[in-house]
Amino acid sequence: MPKILVIEDDLDMAEAVRMPLEANGYKVFHAATGEEGLRKVKEAEPDLIVLDVMMETTTAGFQVSLQLRSPDPGSEYAPYKNTPILMLTAIHDTTSLRFGPDEAYLPVDDFVDKPIEPDVLLEKVAALIAK
Amino acid sequence: MELDHVLTCLAESARQLAAADAVAVYLLDEEGDRLTVAAVCSADAACWPQEPIEVEHSPADKKALAGHFTVIADAKSDPQAANAPGDFCSILCVPLIHENVPIGTLHAYAIQAGQFDEDAVARLMPLAEVGAATVAAARAVDTLETLNASKAKFIRVATHELRSPVAVAQSLVRGVLKGYAGKMTEKQSDVFGRISRRLDFLESLVNDLLDLAAGKAPGLAEEEGPVSLNGSVGRAVLLLQPRAEEKGLEIKLQPCHDQLIVWGTEGGLDRIFVNLISNAVKYTPSNGSVTVTVRQADGQARVEVTDTGIGIPENALSHLFEEFYRAPSAKASGEAGTGLGLAIVKDLVERYSGHIEVESQAGKGTRFTVAFPVLSR
Repeated sequence: MPKILVIEDDLDMAEAVRMPLEANGYKVFHAATGEEGLRKVKEAEPDLIVLDVMMETTTAGFQVSLQLRSPDPGSEYAPYKNTPILMLTAIHDTTSLRFGPDEAYLPVDDFVDKPIEPDVLLEKVAALIAK
Repeated sequence: MELDHVLTCLAESARQLAAADAVAVYLLDEEGDRLTVAAVCSADAACWPQEPIEVEHSPADKKALAGHFTVIADAKSDPQAANAPGDFCSILCVPLIHENVPIGTLHAYAIQAGQFDEDAVARLMPLAEVGAATVAAARAVDTLETLNASKAKFIRVATHELRSPVAVAQSLVRGVLKGYAGKMTEKQSDVFGRISRRLDFLESLVNDLLDLAAGKAPGLAEEEGPVSLNGSVGRAVLLLQPRAEEKGLEIKLQPCHDQLIVWGTEGGLDRIFVNLISNAVKYTPSNGSVTVTVRQADGQARVEVTDTGIGIPENALSHLFEEFYRAPSAKASGEAGTGLGLAIVKDLVERYSGHIEVESQAGKGTRFTVAFPVLSR
C-alpha cells in the first residue's frame, strides 16, 4: 500500500485530498505545517508528498521542497531526495499557465491546481509513484 | 513628484529669490488652526522650533492665510514677530494659497534688520503662488498613490481569502460526487451536482471580479511590453480545443504568417482571446463552427472570432460590454456566466491601445473583431 504524506494547513483541503486517495487504497498521513511535514517525512517515509505552497508563511511549501530536494551534505533529509513531490497550487491560472516543473526554479515533480479535480490528482499521483 | 522634494525646492528657491538667510515653509493642518514646519532652508536647521504655530496667536500668519503679506523690519520691537526663531531681525511672511484655499505660509528670515523691501515681496509672492499649486499637485499625487497601494493590497488579500474557501468547498464536493465519500442515492447526487455548479459559478465570479479590480489597480498586473499576438491566439485556441470537441464543435484557426507584435502583457492578451473564444464555444450549438482569423491590415493586427451560434439581439449589442450585463439570448441558453467577461476583455483591449467591435445576427452567429496597433513585424 503506497504511503502518501499530505502537507497542507487547511484541514478541509487536506480532507479533500485524503478522500480520493484513501478510496483508491493509498495510506495517507497528514501534516499541517512545513515543519511538521519535514518531521513526518522521516517518520512515515512516504512514497510521495502532496505539498501546499502557502501555509504558516506564503512560501512554506517552497521551503519544504527545497530542503528535501537540495539537502546539505550529510543532512537528515538526504535519503528523501528522490521522493516525488506533487505541489498543490492556486498560482496556476489556466489562462497564463507558464511555469512548468523546472528543477532550477522549483524542485517539485508536478502540480495540481486548486480546486482539486479528484481524477486529475489520482492520475498524477499514480504516474509519479510508478516512475 | 514627491511632496518633500517639492517643499525643499520651494524653500531653496525662496531663499535665493529673497536673498534671505533662512526660509521655512509652513503647512496648515486639516483643522486649519495650526501651522507645522514642512521644509527649512537654513545654515542652522537645528535652531528651528519644532512646535506648531497656533494661527490665532501669530498675526503675520493669520494675515498670510487671508492672502496678505507681512514685512517685519525689526523682530525685536515688532509684536507681530512672536514666533521668530533664532537671532533673525527681518521677517517676510507670504501666503501659500491655491485656488482660493490657504494651504500654508512661507517665511523668509534675515539676520540684518530691514532686509526685505517691496522688491523682495514682488519676487516672493509669485513664487509662493506657483509653490502652492505645486504642493497641492504633489499632495494629490501622494493621496492617489496611497489609495492605489491600499487598493492593490486589498485585492491581493481578497484574492486569497475569497478564492481559497471556494476552492476547498469545490474540492470536497467533487470528491463526494465521484463517490469517494461513499455511495450516494440518486437524489443526493443531484443535490451535490447543484451545489457543485453553484460553486463553479462562484469561483468564476470571484475570479472575474478580482481580475476586473486588479486591472484597475496599478502595480498588480505584469509589466506591459511587446508581446506576440500569434502566440497568444494560438495558446487560447489550444486551450479551448478540447472543450469545443466535447461539444462537437470545430475551432478553425486561420493564422497570420507575419509575426505580429503588439503592446500588452501575455496574461492580458491570453485572457482576451480565451474569453472571446470560450464565449463562442459556449454559445454555439453542436455541429456549428468557430473560426479564429488573425491578419494584418492598415498597420493593425486584427483578430476575428466568428461563430455560427445563437447570436445577440440588436438591442442587446450596445449593453454587451457593461459589467454584469448578459444578453437575454445568453441567459436563455442555460449556460452559466457572470456578465463580467466582456467587460474585462474591453478593459484589457483598451489598455493595450486597441479597440473591439461586435456584429451579430440573432440565430445566425456573432463576430468579435479586436484590433491592435502593430509594433513591428
